[in-house]
Amino acid sequence: MKLAEALSIVQKTSAELPEFKVVLACGITPLHLQNYLAAHLQSLREDRKVRISRGLFGDIAGTLEQLAAQSPQAAVLVIEWQDLDPRLGYRQLGGWGEQRLASAVANAETMLQRLEKGIAALPESTALAVSLPTLPLPPGFHTVGWHASQIEIALERAAADFALRISRRPSVRVLNRARLEVVSPPAGRYDFRSDLNTGFPYTMAHADALGNALARLIALPPPKKGLITDLDDTFWAGLVGEVGHENVCWDLASHAQLHGLYQQMLAGLADHGILVAIASKNSPEVVNQALSRSDLVINKEKIFPIEVHWDAKSGSVARILKAWNIGADSVVFVDDSPMELEEVRAAFPEIECLLFPKNDYSAALSFLQRLRDLFGKPSLSEEDRFRLDSIRVNQELAKTNGNAAESPEHFLASLEATLTLEYNPPATDKRVVELVNKTNQFNLNGIRYTEAEWQEAAQAPGAFVLAVSYADKFGPLGKIGVLSGRRDGERLHVRTWVMSCRAFSRRIEHACISELFRHFGGEEILLDFKVTKKNGPISDFLSQFAGAVQTGPVAIERSVFEAKCPRLYHKILNHNG
Amino acid sequence: MDNIEQRLETIFATVFPDLPAGKIKSASQESVESWDSVAAITLINLIEEEFEIQMDFDDVAELTSFSKILDYLRRRLANAAA
Repeated sequence: MKLAEALSIVQKTSAELPEFKVVLACGITPLHLQNYLAAHLQSLREDRKVRISRGLFGDIAGTLEQLAAQSPQAAVLVIEWQDLDPRLGYRQLGGWGEQRLASAVANAETMLQRLEKGIAALPESTALAVSLPTLPLPPGFHTVGWHASQIEIALERAAADFALRISRRPSVRVLNRARLEVVSPPAGRYDFRSDLNTGFPYTMAHADALGNALARLIALPPPKKGLITDLDDTFWAGLVGEVGHENVCWDLASHAQLHGLYQQMLAGLADHGILVAIASKNSPEVVNQALSRSDLVINKEKIFPIEVHWDAKSGSVARILKAWNIGADSVVFVDDSPMELEEVRAAFPEIECLLFPKNDYSAALSFLQRLRDLFGKPSLSEEDRFRLDSIRVNQELAKTNGNAAESPEHFLASLEATLTLEYNPPATDKRVVELVNKTNQFNLNGIRYTEAEWQEAAQAPGAFVLAVSYADKFGPLGKIGVLSGRRDGERLHVRTWVMSCRAFSRRIEHACISELFRHFGGEEILLDFKVTKKNGPISDFLSQFAGAVQTGPVAIERSVFEAKCPRLYHKILNHNG
Repeated sequence: MDNIEQRLETIFATVFPDLPAGKIKSASQESVESWDSVAAITLINLIEEEFEIQMDFDDVAELTSFSKILDYLRRRLANAAA
């Protein structure tokens, strides 16, 4: 991005939008790092007016220490070696050489400890992106340039130890230096002329790349939830229908390691709670034999559903999406055939379709890295472990509901369902905001929140947050619902209500409304409903009790709800006692 | 108005978004309140980016108005073309 374009993006954004406040803490003159950070962040957060404030030039620790009082929604900490000891830069003449620089390591460790204390004092709700030194150390050491001196190694270790310590905090995201090197090669980062004349040490290209990377850390895109894969020449090398189940391969000896790595990637994704399914045009028997091989890298049980037949793959994708109960825009489809990709893309334009690069090593490595970027998330939750099991149970539920011999009442009564209610969960519970921000179908209005915005609203006078967890005889689903709002005299005002699609068809939504009437009393609940492209399920639910609904406040009256609410079978546990 | 002048006007409009278009040509450090050291460096960086030149920081101290920068650019670009 050119500097003129970056400035233009920032200037053109409407000042009417709600603010997204970010503090940039750095020791260098922020100048165009600030401009590029603002422009990239603005491009990622079009619903907000990004405002970046900065501290005093040269006082990186002081800026960080004052952050807590400013309550920004996010913060960025950019460290360069000169911030840890001025002699490690070019703007001060404190002395180079082995003897003089020996104290630089101790100074760096002291400064890093001070920064760590500043980070520890930040509210958990403030996302913090941290960049470790990106510029080279100066040539002030006794070894030749190819030979890393002990002081340089010790400095690198001090920075790495610091990064490891702070990365354990849930709100901290440390920039991956290896990834930055791909987009901003180290040799092209330092602008000596600019550093000496203005105090801004970065080339424009590096400022652009670093600003972009930090913006992505602050405004992470929602991760994809599921991957649907082809089999022949994708999951394994060879056409299983032609060579037989024993001859498809995915190992180094058969020159098919890429397919093994792909299986390994899928296994890792499945362990992280990503859904993996198969859509293949093949004979089911032969595929079943191949998938039963003991040397498969991914456990077959981790894959569900498996669609194998000779019909169009778009049909398979439709059935898989239904089984997963997630939107096409949350899914990636992988196939080695451009024609199959096109057929699926035509039916589901929102699906991210990726060509499996079976004959291109360079593209193959990029493909694996792309999968990491599409599915990566800052942390793993307990719910990630339950996801596939709960979908399998949902399939059983659907089958049972379709069986006329067993009524829904009989089935629901037999579930032994338990709802655990937790009022005002602690700010450290990241699952609450995560659920609010990634739920589309049963979502009252589609409004997304930063951690800071969510905590601010939750702590307002009269506000409440209710987190709902579910378990039944088939196992736990974990935290599946969140409601928030405030009591307004006799009326309860709900501003947020989301429920995971994994929890549908169990009357949990009915139990939630029933619980709100029980807990808060009152005769009416007012819900801030807004029609979105995807929230048909909650619209249908509200219509049962409030008639046809449209964007605006929707009122549910106690008397109407109690008259129409079907029988509920849940055992209710109160987490707060 | 030549192409250089036009491009320089666009740069001034980017660095000083509150400056009315009619006042760009008469703009100077004295007349534009927001023309501080950060704005001056941004001006230089945008000019370097737009005209693909590298400016000498010793010259920058003299470039205190739109017209002086325009003269400087015309000289630099003419020398480069010669």
